[in-house]
Amino acid sequence: MKEKKRSISYAKWGYIFIIPFFVVYAIFTLYPQLLTFYNSFFENYREGLTQIGPNFVGFANYVKLLTPTSEGTIDILKYFGNTMIMWIIGAIPQFVVALLLALLFTSTRLKLKGQGFAKTTIYMPNLIMASAFSMLFFSLFSTVGPINQILQGLGWLDKPFDFISFKISARSLVALMNFLMWFGNTTIVLMAGIMGIDESLFESARIDGASSTHVFFDITLPLLRPILVYTMITSLIGGLQMFDVPQVLSKGIGMPNRTTFTVIMLLNNYLGGSKNYGMAGAISVILFIITGILSIFVFKAMNRKEA
Amino acid sequence: MKKLLSLLLALLMLVTLAACGKGDDPAPAGGDEVAEGKVFNVYAWNTEFQGFFNKYYLGTEPCVDTDGDGVLDGYFENAPGKHWVDEGVTFNWTIVPSDNGQYQEALDAALLAQGEAAADEKVDLFLAEADYILKYVNSEVTQDVKALGVNDMSQTYPYTVEAATDTNGVTKGVSFQCCPSALIYRRSIAKDVLGTDDPAEVQELLNSWEKFDAVAETAAAKGYLMTPSFAETYRVFSNNTTSPWVDADKNLSFDSAITTWMTQAEKYIANGYTLTEGIWDAGKNAEMGKDGKALCFFGPAWYFNFCMGPAHDEAMGDWAICEGPQAHFWGGTWLLAPAGSDNPTILAEIMNTFINNEEVCSALIANESQFTNNQTVNNKFAADPDYGSEFLGGQNDVAVFAELAKNIKFQNNTIYDQYMNEGLQTYFVEYLKGTVTLDEAIQNFYKYVNEKFPAVNVPAE
Repeated sequence: MKEKKRSISYAKWGYIFIIPFFVVYAIFTLYPQLLTFYNSFFENYREGLTQIGPNFVGFANYVKLLTPTSEGTIDILKYFGNTMIMWIIGAIPQFVVALLLALLFTSTRLKLKGQGFAKTTIYMPNLIMASAFSMLFFSLFSTVGPINQILQGLGWLDKPFDFISFKISARSLVALMNFLMWFGNTTIVLMAGIMGIDESLFESARIDGASSTHVFFDITLPLLRPILVYTMITSLIGGLQMFDVPQVLSKGIGMPNRTTFTVIMLLNNYLGGSKNYGMAGAISVILFIITGILSIFVFKAMNRKEA
Repeated sequence: MKKLLSLLLALLMLVTLAACGKGDDPAPAGGDEVAEGKVFNVYAWNTEFQGFFNKYYLGTEPCVDTDGDGVLDGYFENAPGKHWVDEGVTFNWTIVPSDNGQYQEALDAALLAQGEAAADEKVDLFLAEADYILKYVNSEVTQDVKALGVNDMSQTYPYTVEAATDTNGVTKGVSFQCCPSALIYRRSIAKDVLGTDDPAEVQELLNSWEKFDAVAETAAAKGYLMTPSFAETYRVFSNNTTSPWVDADKNLSFDSAITTWMTQAEKYIANGYTLTEGIWDAGKNAEMGKDGKALCFFGPAWYFNFCMGPAHDEAMGDWAICEGPQAHFWGGTWLLAPAGSDNPTILAEIMNTFINNEEVCSALIANESQFTNNQTVNNKFAADPDYGSEFLGGQNDVAVFAELAKNIKFQNNTIYDQYMNEGLQTYFVEYLKGTVTLDEAIQNFYKYVNEKFPAVNVPAE
């Protein structure tokens, strides 16, 4: 009797409890994903209100996407490059600022006042819809908007500067918005990571006379790495799917000269209007592969020197 | 037991989730033979028609200021649709902005799902513009309005019927307005530049593009702008093309009128005659206000009534209209009858009201400064010496439009026009701003066309 009781396994309950997640995942994520792969091999769109296809065309959609144009560039890679550049310009300050703030907020030596207010405020931009945020910036930075009026009023500009018509300023605006929207979120996650580090490690370091810089580089950063990798990969995936901010800011055309045009904006052009599931599917698959490769790359790079 | 219960709950949650995805729960299908559905759904891209509809068809919104305090407080008494409201019919409006084809996309989705939609969810009326009306007219999603009881179109302008008639000669809707487009000029600037603000004299000085260009030079020399946007004259040219954007073999081509416009826009930007602002941009709208420097705008009655807000607020009465260099029309709102509507009686009644009810059409002119699709009513106002538009400094706009309406032709239209017209303007302005070369601008436009319309062939280099 005693023997039998000991052999009861509670593990099966663990499996049973995670079943709902996998069922939901299979229905709402895995199945659509496989369907996207499947769709990408078909010609399937609407011409006006007439449905064309679906006709099996093999890899024709991929060939069309990856064929160089007359100028010798592969457009989808160019748009992918745009996306990455805008993500990087925004992500660097995002992580630096978030890390700094997370350190400040968690510091037991500083014990900053008004932390609750500060944390709420930095998180605020994330609550605004990205498209609304972008619309706001569009008006702020338009040639007749307040920013131009202020700059002219101060005498720094003679005539209005068209921010959205120059590659550097247009991309910077997109990056700035992404930064403003996401640094609060990253701060909160990193704070949770720092607070998860055993306090006694900091105490003993301090007793041993380690400087703050030492503590940061030799204790906080190495122990924070798993969380840092996680936030970086989620930020990368989010960045690659960048859409609403540049779409609204550049009136959907990715101006100037399609340099703020992202991969999802391309997908949107195919999907909106003619409901081109074939081409949109092919773009999604290419994006999926690129995202996978980059995520593995980031993961490997960050976990290189396993302590 | 507890574990079992929690498992059950988790599964239940899943089932609920899955059920949400389906969304085909059958709605009560109107039990005993009710002739008209209780919900009337309308799709539109702005609120212009909604206002007229509520004021003159339903009579639920005030339309006149009876005591002169600047607040509308008098209702239209003989509103034909008033009894429907009393009978408990609700009128639902779905408004989706038209930019980037959003409205068309929403409409396509709703119309293609019309068959499976519950009676109260069906689209009962939708509005369409000249740029894409053919897509819906030449399709199964619309139905014959004559069969519904809209038989008398003798009062309407022929082009409005032509546009709503499919290739088999079946008419699928009516327009509630007629949209000849005019040159709208600012009187104070015209006096300074041309020495007159009299419409007949101004027309004489601007009746060809050569004269228009010459005046542009004079205006620029005096510090004015000829037009507030590089695209201001676009519709004048695009409405006078000799070939469609896309031909029967689905080949895209630039009509010579479009290339002429491109040359003009380039020259006007280079000489400072106009701005790189788009047709709906804030910078263009600022030119309508009290500090506005632009002499000429182009548009029909709906344009200066509904889209020139700053001019109404800050420069009331400082405007006048004349034909300009070339006759043309722009836009117009057609009321189309979707197949499968469960409110055919109301639908037909609305259409008849806005084309044949003289009292409603007269109110549309008198209170709303519209140019209606009823020739008798328009001609009555055109001949009335006491009628004049306050916005136009007392000028009788109906008289001008009645003359211009005779020249309207509905020709060379395709289902692609909205995307082509908007797309070309947005990509071409990058060239005008100097951020891309002309070739890059055209190639970007072709890329956009390829993405939007896989079947359309763009010219090879």
